[in-house]
Amino acid sequence: MIDERDLLIERVRTTLRGSPDAAADARAVARVLTTVWASPRPSLWRRALDAWRMPVVSGLGAAAVAGLALLAGFVTRGTVGERTPEAPLAATGPATGEFPVQYAAATTGEVAAVPTQFVFDGDAKESVALVGDFNGWRPDATPLTRLENGLWTVTAPLPPGRHVYAFMIDGTLVVADPRAPRAGDADYGREGSVVMVFAR
Amino acid sequence: MSDTRPNSSIDPTLPLRAKAGDRQAFAQLVDAMYPRSLRFALHMVGNREDAEEAVQDAFVRVYHSLGRFRDDARFEPWLFRILANRCRSLMEKRRRHARIIQYGEVPERGSAPMETSGVDWTVEVHKVLATLPVEQREAFLLRHVEDMAYEDISAVTGVGLSALRMRVKRACDVLRARLTEVMADDR
Repeated sequence: MIDERDLLIERVRTTLRGSPDAAADARAVARVLTTVWASPRPSLWRRALDAWRMPVVSGLGAAAVAGLALLAGFVTRGTVGERTPEAPLAATGPATGEFPVQYAAATTGEVAAVPTQFVFDGDAKESVALVGDFNGWRPDATPLTRLENGLWTVTAPLPPGRHVYAFMIDGTLVVADPRAPRAGDADYGREGSVVMVFAR
Repeated sequence: MSDTRPNSSIDPTLPLRAKAGDRQAFAQLVDAMYPRSLRFALHMVGNREDAEEAVQDAFVRVYHSLGRFRDDARFEPWLFRILANRCRSLMEKRRRHARIIQYGEVPERGSAPMETSGVDWTVEVHKVLATLPVEQREAFLLRHVEDMAYEDISAVTGVGLSALRMRVKRACDVLRARLTEVMADDR
């Protein structure tokens, strides 16, 4: 049986779990990812120190890893500090049924918008429009074109980051993209999907 | 007593895919864990600006440390360990710079409905939470807000189970005593 005092802790827990409403800030995740992708790899010393602190390997293991890494660093005079090139990134879009992600070619200076393809495979009589946080949810901003095979498609230039979007059908019905993950943070109360756009 | 409450909500393959270089998987990890991470950091450091900095820094470190993430390890305790370290470092940095941190920033949205009349329950909870020693606050948040099992909290903090239970108990005792007083004064 739960006494009154346990109910009080439960009430504290409910209060603290309710804040903050981080999910409402879709831009925060995009900011984090942009920072992560742009961040330089830590120095060998930093990584050795982090390895020492990390709980995923034992203290003895961490010490061994750190020692070997440092030894290798001294021997090779820093040539081990470069990261192995990452595996090629496959560009996927909503049409694949996977998490819609697009990658931009590497640029210098300002971050360029990334051409991102959207495909709608559903019933629409007259029109389908792409609406989202990137175009102010305006139904006239990004219309889709109907292909001969019945699919509707558009390629829109999107800034890197996380975007919430939906399709407006025949100017009245707003539906999420069935091929993409749903947004946990409905923008302006609308149901939406998530697209991640990466610059690199 | 063993804790059986669920504390994992992410796809366990995501960290492994991210470790293998799949940026899409890492983005999904951030997307899934950001709200909880920010909530924990905000309750630890006491203001949103520092909390966002701690979370961002933690994810940067996670990303660059994925190569050391053991395949059979659980991601959440690992992330929270790094995040808790960032929060502690940030608090120490702020303390050294003699900046007064005002704990108790009232969340803009999403708070639980208030039932009390004259007292702002959310503000009072944050005030009392801010008075707890850091290690008690950390243990309480991980246990009762983030629903972590004591074994996972031990992995996060590096502290033994019995000491953790004591920290949580002491935190609960303080919260009960002070919030009961607040409610009594309001009657």
